[in-house]
Amino acid sequence: MKIVYVELDRCIACHNCERACLFHKAEQRAGSTANIFVSVDMEQRRIFAGTCRQCDAALCMDVCPVNALTRDPLTSAVVVDKQTCISCGMCIIACPYGYMSLDGSSHMATKCDLCGGDPRCVQMCMADALHFDSIQSLAKQRKQNPDMQVGLRAVSDKGDVAP
Amino acid sequence: MTERTVVENGTVPTLCRMCSNRCSIVVHIEDGNMVDVRPLAGNPVNHGKMCPRGRASLDVFYHKDRICKPLKRQTDGTFIEIGLEQALDEIAKKMLDVKGRWGARSMGVWKGEAIGFLQQEEYARRFAHAFGTPNYFSNDSACYNGRFLGHHLVTGFWNPFPYYAEADLILLFGTNPPVCHPPFMAEFADAKARGANLVVVDPRLNPVACYADIFAQPLPGTDGALAWGLIRYLVNAGGYDPTFVEQHSVGFEDVVEYAQKFTPDYVEKETGVFAHVVVDIAKLIIQNRPKISYYMGAGLEHHDNGVNNIRAMVVLSCLSGGLDIACGLGWPASMPRNELTLHDQLPLTAEKPIGADRFPVLYDIRKECHTMTAMDYMLGREEYPLKGLIVTAANPAVTNPNTGKVEEALKALDLLVVNDLFMTRTARLAHYVLPAASFLERSEIHIDPKYQRVFLTQKVVEDPGIKDEYMLWHDLAWRLGFGERYFPWDTENQVNAYILEPSGITLKDLEAHPEGIQYSPLKYQKHLSRPLPTPSGKLEFTSAYLEKLGYAALPEYVRPYHLRHPSDAYPLLLTTGARKTLYYHSRHQNLEHFRKLHPEAEVEMHPEDAAGLGVENGDQVRIISETGEVTVAASVLHKAELRRGVVEMYHGWEEWRINFTTFDLINDPISGFPLLKGVPVRIETVK
Repeated sequence: MKIVYVELDRCIACHNCERACLFHKAEQRAGSTANIFVSVDMEQRRIFAGTCRQCDAALCMDVCPVNALTRDPLTSAVVVDKQTCISCGMCIIACPYGYMSLDGSSHMATKCDLCGGDPRCVQMCMADALHFDSIQSLAKQRKQNPDMQVGLRAVSDKGDVAP
Repeated sequence: MTERTVVENGTVPTLCRMCSNRCSIVVHIEDGNMVDVRPLAGNPVNHGKMCPRGRASLDVFYHKDRICKPLKRQTDGTFIEIGLEQALDEIAKKMLDVKGRWGARSMGVWKGEAIGFLQQEEYARRFAHAFGTPNYFSNDSACYNGRFLGHHLVTGFWNPFPYYAEADLILLFGTNPPVCHPPFMAEFADAKARGANLVVVDPRLNPVACYADIFAQPLPGTDGALAWGLIRYLVNAGGYDPTFVEQHSVGFEDVVEYAQKFTPDYVEKETGVFAHVVVDIAKLIIQNRPKISYYMGAGLEHHDNGVNNIRAMVVLSCLSGGLDIACGLGWPASMPRNELTLHDQLPLTAEKPIGADRFPVLYDIRKECHTMTAMDYMLGREEYPLKGLIVTAANPAVTNPNTGKVEEALKALDLLVVNDLFMTRTARLAHYVLPAASFLERSEIHIDPKYQRVFLTQKVVEDPGIKDEYMLWHDLAWRLGFGERYFPWDTENQVNAYILEPSGITLKDLEAHPEGIQYSPLKYQKHLSRPLPTPSGKLEFTSAYLEKLGYAALPEYVRPYHLRHPSDAYPLLLTTGARKTLYYHSRHQNLEHFRKLHPEAEVEMHPEDAAGLGVENGDQVRIISETGEVTVAASVLHKAELRRGVVEMYHGWEEWRINFTTFDLINDPISGFPLLKGVPVRIETVK
C-alpha cells in the first residue's frame, strides 16, 4: 500500500505540511489538529517530522473498544469513524509512534487518512521530503543495492519510486 | 462581486503571485466557481509542488473585504462608493490640475507588488513618463535594489538565484530560504544529498541552519568585514585563479592591498564571528571552489553600508571562481522583447527626479526615485512639491521606514489614489481607492532569468466592475490625452503580444505551454568569448564609475551606524523583516486560517536579554528608538535562535507597525536603502 513517508534529511522545517493538513481539514470541517508533525530541537539543532505509517498490524485498531478505526477500502488507510469514536484515548496510548491524537475542536481521535489517496502535505512539500508511495518498493531497491547513498528523490528520478 | 470564470467547468493553468517566486499552478473550476488550486508539473521552478499560499489565492479572491467598487473620501474622512468611470474622470481632472499648477513632476507613481511583476512595473513607468514626470517609485527601494546594485556594479548583471543543486558549498548570508523562497528548498536538499557543505551567516538561527557545517551569528551590518576577511585569506593563500583575475577583472591589486587589515582577529572584533571560524569558512571556500553558491538575502541590503558589503561578497564570489557558472553568478541571457518603459524615448533626467541628487546611482542604473526622500517633497521641504501620487498595490504606510512621517507626508498630498485589493493602511489615507484586479484576473508575460524561461500568466476569472492593471493605466492615459500615443492596445493580451513580438514566441505557444518555454539554452562561461556588461567590460573590483561620482572605487567596509554611534540609551539592535511562512510583507494577514497561526505581532528576544529586563514570554513590551515606539508581545526564544543583543520583529503587520521605530534618513550612500536591520532601540516592560 502507499503511505506518506518522510525523507528526514531533506526536511528544512518549513512546516508547510502541517499547514496543508490543517487548512485541508478546516475546509472539510474535519477538525483543527494537523495529522503530520514537524519539530525543531534547538538544543541539538535537529529537525524531526513524521506522520502515521498506516501499520499493517495497527495497534490503534486493535485496542479501540468500539471499532471506530477501520481500513479505508480504497487507500487501505486506517480511518476514524467519528460517529462511533467515544474519545476514550486508548488508540493514543497504543500507537507506538505517537501519531494518534485527539482533535483540538472535536475532541475525537484524529490521524492521517491520506486525504482519500491524494495527500495534500506531499503536494505542498517543496523540499520533496515527503513521498507518497509504497515503502516496500524502496526497501526492495535498497536491499538489492546496499551501498546506495542516494535519497528518495534521486531514486525517484530513476523511476523506481514515484515522486 | 459579479465575477465570471473564463470556463464554466474545467481547469486553467497560470502562475501563482501570492509571493514573488511564480510557481506554476492549475485552478480548478466547477459551475463557475474556483474550487481548488493545484501545482502544475513541468516548470523547474516549483517542480510540481506548491505551498499553502497558492491555495489561499482563492481566499484572497473571494474575500468578503475585497474592494469591489471605487471609494471616494468625503470631507469628514468617511468613504462613499462611486462609479468607476466617475472616479477615473475625477482623478484625471485632479492630475491635470496638479500638472497645471505645479508641473507634471509634482505627480508621482508608486508601484507595489501585490498583483503583478515586471509588466505591472513597466506600465507604471510608462505611464509616469508619458505624463511627463520622472517620479516613479516602488517597493524595490526597500528590497531588491540594494542587491541589484551590489551585484551590478561588479559584474554588470544580477541573476537573483543561483542553481544551488550543483553547488559543493552553499553560503547563505542573512536569508531564510524555506520561508523566503520555498521553491528552492528542493535544490538545497539535492545539494545536501550530494554531500555539499553549508555555511549560514545570520544573527538569527533559521531551521535551515540545523544542517549547517558552520553557523555564525555576526553583529548586524558587519558582513563587509567578514567578506574582506575571507578575501584576505583567499588572496594570501593563493586560493584564486591568477590568470582569470588578470584577464577578467580590474582593481585586483587594490583589493589585495585593502584586504590586508582584515586579519581574522580584526574580523572577530568587528563582526563577533570567532577568528578561527573565519579561517574555517575561508578554508571551505578554497576546498570547494569554484562550485560555490553564495546567496545574500535582504539581511545584507538593509544597512547604511549594504551595497559595499554586497559588492565585497560578490568580489569574493568572483575570486573563488563563481563567475557565470550554474551554481554561482549566472549571467542570464535576456529574451528579445519590446519594453514598455519610455526611458530612452522620453528621458526626464533634467526634470530633477526625486532623490537623483542624493543617490545618483539609484536613478542612473534603476531609473527609480528615492521613496524616503519623496516624503520630504510631499511635506514641501524640498526644491519642488510632490502633490499627487498614484499607488498601485503598495503599502508604504506599513512597509516604508519612519511610519509617522510617511503618514504625515501622504496626508499632505492634494491627490492620493490607491489601487489595491483591500483597505490597507495606505488606502485608508487615500482620496480615491480603486478596486484592483488580483493575479487571477490578469494575464501578463513573466520572464525567469534563472531558467531563461518565459511564461504567460493566464486570466482565470474576471469581474466587469474591476479594471485589470493595464486597463487602469489605459483609461487614465486616454483621459489625460496620451492614450492613443502610448496606451494604444485595447486589452492586456494585446500588450502581451506586443511585448513578445521580437522573441519569435507567440501567445499561442505560451498558452500551449503553461509550464513555460525556454527562450534560449543555458550557456555558461560567456565571459571567455565576450566582454561583461560593465563600463570596462571586466569585473569591476574597483569602480571608476563610482569614483567619478565621488564614492570610493573599492567596496570599502564602512562600520555600520550602530558601531559608529554606540548609545547607552538604546543598547539593543532591532532587525526587522524576517519572513513569516504564510504572510508576504503586508499581505495575507486578513486570511482567517493564516491569521490563526500568526495571530499577533511579537518581538523576538534572546532569553538573557529578556531576563535582564525582567521580560517573560508573552509580556507586552515597548520597543523605543530615536524615531518612535511600538508596543507588542515579547517572544523569548531559545538562546541559539538569536544573537544576544539583537531583537527581531516582522515588518508587515498592519496593526503593529515596527516602522514607527525605523529611520528614513540614515541611508546607504549608493542605493539609498534604509537602515532596517540594526536600529538601536531599548525595550521597556509595560507596567
